[in-house]
Amino acid sequence: MLAGIAILLGTTAVTAMLAIATTIGDRIHKELAVYGANIVVYPKTDLLDVKIGGVDVKPSTGGSYLKESDLAKLKTIFWANNITGISPEFHRAGKIFVVDGATGGPFNSRAIWRENDPVMASLQTFPVTAVGYWFDHRFGSLVTGAPQLHPWWRLEGRWPVEHPIDSKHVEGAQEIVLGSTLAKRLGMHIGDWINMGTEFEGDIVGIVNTGDATEQQILYPLDADEQVMPIEPDGKHIDEVQRDISRVEVSARTKPEDAFARKDPDSLSPQQREIWYCRPYANSIAYQIREVIPGAEAGQVRRVEQSEGNVLNRISGLMWLVSAAALLAAGFAVSAAMATAVLERRGEIGLMRSLGASKSAIAVLFYAESGLLAIFAGSLGYLIGSGLAAWLGARIFSGDGGSAEAVLNPVLLPVVVALALVVAIAGSTPSIRSALRMDPSAVLRADA
Amino acid sequence: MSKLSLIGMLRRSLVHRRARSLSALIAMTVSAGVATALLTLYANLDAKLHKEFRSFGANVVITAPATAPLRPDALEKVRQAAGPDALAAEFAYAVATTDRGTPVVVAGTDFAAVKRLDSWWQVDAWPDASAANAALLGQRAAQFVADERAVILTFAGHSVTLQGVGRLRTGGDEDSRIYMPLAAFNAWTGVAPTVIELQIPGGATTVDASISRLRHALPELQVQPVRALVEGESKIVDRTHALMYGAVLLIALTVAISVLATLSASVLERRRDFALMKALGGSQLHLMGMFLLEALVLSIAGVAAGFLVGSAAAWAISETNFHTATLPRLSVLPLVLLLNIAIAAMAALFPARVLRGLQPAALLKGE
Repeated sequence: MLAGIAILLGTTAVTAMLAIATTIGDRIHKELAVYGANIVVYPKTDLLDVKIGGVDVKPSTGGSYLKESDLAKLKTIFWANNITGISPEFHRAGKIFVVDGATGGPFNSRAIWRENDPVMASLQTFPVTAVGYWFDHRFGSLVTGAPQLHPWWRLEGRWPVEHPIDSKHVEGAQEIVLGSTLAKRLGMHIGDWINMGTEFEGDIVGIVNTGDATEQQILYPLDADEQVMPIEPDGKHIDEVQRDISRVEVSARTKPEDAFARKDPDSLSPQQREIWYCRPYANSIAYQIREVIPGAEAGQVRRVEQSEGNVLNRISGLMWLVSAAALLAAGFAVSAAMATAVLERRGEIGLMRSLGASKSAIAVLFYAESGLLAIFAGSLGYLIGSGLAAWLGARIFSGDGGSAEAVLNPVLLPVVVALALVVAIAGSTPSIRSALRMDPSAVLRADA
Repeated sequence: MSKLSLIGMLRRSLVHRRARSLSALIAMTVSAGVATALLTLYANLDAKLHKEFRSFGANVVITAPATAPLRPDALEKVRQAAGPDALAAEFAYAVATTDRGTPVVVAGTDFAAVKRLDSWWQVDAWPDASAANAALLGQRAAQFVADERAVILTFAGHSVTLQGVGRLRTGGDEDSRIYMPLAAFNAWTGVAPTVIELQIPGGATTVDASISRLRHALPELQVQPVRALVEGESKIVDRTHALMYGAVLLIALTVAISVLATLSASVLERRRDFALMKALGGSQLHLMGMFLLEALVLSIAGVAAGFLVGSAAAWAISETNFHTATLPRLSVLPLVLLLNIAIAAMAALFPARVLRGLQPAALLKGE
């Protein structure tokens, strides 16, 4: 009975700890997703970004872009299932009126015009960047986009709905979100509208506070690009399929980088290269992205990737070590309890011996008892421990879709029961042996 | 025969049943050891985790107003306000032209500070502190430079020749920049630093407190937290903390109940001693005191041994996992002691109560 309780508790603790330790990597990865993308894809360009503090100092015109239609190819790479979020961006520089050049008074127009537009020459303006993003965009089985990859953005109002909707102003107006600094500067609020481009209007449905340069930008749905900026500087219409993208942020589940991950795959032997390719390193995923998207350069965001790997390693290492401590403690507890259980029954052993049972028969009997107890209590402990781990996980990591993983981890059952079996048998061995070594008559008399 | 004293009885009881005493002692040691190890780790956990998060780099950015650069003493003031543990580096930016005619952002900074602050930068070789014209070339910027060993940059008609000592890879904006020592940068462009990147260790509350101190000390500057980092760090540390808490409780409970069971079995097994003493005239109180004392001696010995074992385990765990030593903490000792004494007392008193109602004669007869 006592031994049973000890095994039950021991396996409960061990199962719970192991179940937590095996899933902690995924859970912490989800938490670390708040740091945003760990891989960034950009066109192999002949121009250099001239950005200070996230603001384009000299916005480049023209240059090379990626194509939005190429993003579908990300679903075909080896580690496609590890991609948890994608957020393409298209940066478009423009200017906003401040003062009406003709009257000199404050200009009430809310228009943004493209850089280099001759209309702008006579007006006082300040530069502004409009950035096209995905908002709750369906990508395979993912629903992803800018809000998902920037969980620290604080939104007042709501995100734009992709696809044009009917508007109170003009047909085909687009929903947009303003950065909070820009909104304050323009004195605009949710419900206002802004004239973007020549014939399209943006309804402001949200104001976003980001803590970075995005606060000074206009965010619009990428699929509105066609309407917001209908014509290329050279007068060409932008084909929907050919929509340009200046940058893609990708969030992927990766394996923390080790020495092997830093190797250049092209310098490895074919077998080694295969291994490198088939491990979910950030470098391998970036390599695979480069392979499928023509003209793309992909690399890990070292600040996120390196530090995440670091933190992930530490926390899961900690959990494994604590699990080991739990295992050790449970092992001690179970074997002590088994020893007590056998010692208590010395009288029985003496009786059996004096009735003619062989030592081996008695040992087998006791081992069988311990074994059955271990299997039964171990299985029960497995169930309770799994439940406990699920409860603990749900409580601590609430709200991250923790239901994704199964409550019962079938791999743990044989492991835990086998451990219980080994510990129970090992724990009872010394006391069985010492009990068998005693003279039956002495034992019986002493315990009369 | 001399009269047995309480101490004598205790000694005999412990020595005579050596195996049993030893197993009880081991049980107590394990329980004290596990409790010590987990509590020691737990007490240190937040500090250790926050330390790991330092590798994310700056979590606060201080920017000068658009009209004027930072005051020369700004960095010193920031360091004072942020505390001795904070890391800070100042940056000055200018847009220069490379020898191929491409505009490029050139940043002047203190390489020694940046090396500590931005440990995620992958750099072939950090420039020597004494080299006045050493430069780090971002991997994208390097493609727009004719000769990486002698980089010629032009700013407002003045040109400078820098010696590139290595490439810099970050995957961020830094890839498109060229970094050089601040003194040389200032002499060349005349541009003073405008940005201080600051890393304040600790969770959101610590960072917020430091930020309000900074805003108070330097009212003209804009102090902004890197929100993704500050929020994420607190969230993850809190969750790991909670997880550890759950684990500690779970393990402590398992060990406590197992030890309780083992010890009370060892007391129950001595029904006959109990009956004998009672038959010889021991009062209930006397006997319970006897058991209790024995359990206490065992548990104190167990705590002493367990504290050593547990501290060693905590040290080993943090050495393997965090690569920093966790020194034994005497502050956990009272809690461990209390825990074990409580277990021992329960283990001694529970069976004594069960046995109270029994008749010594019946027990001695073996019923």
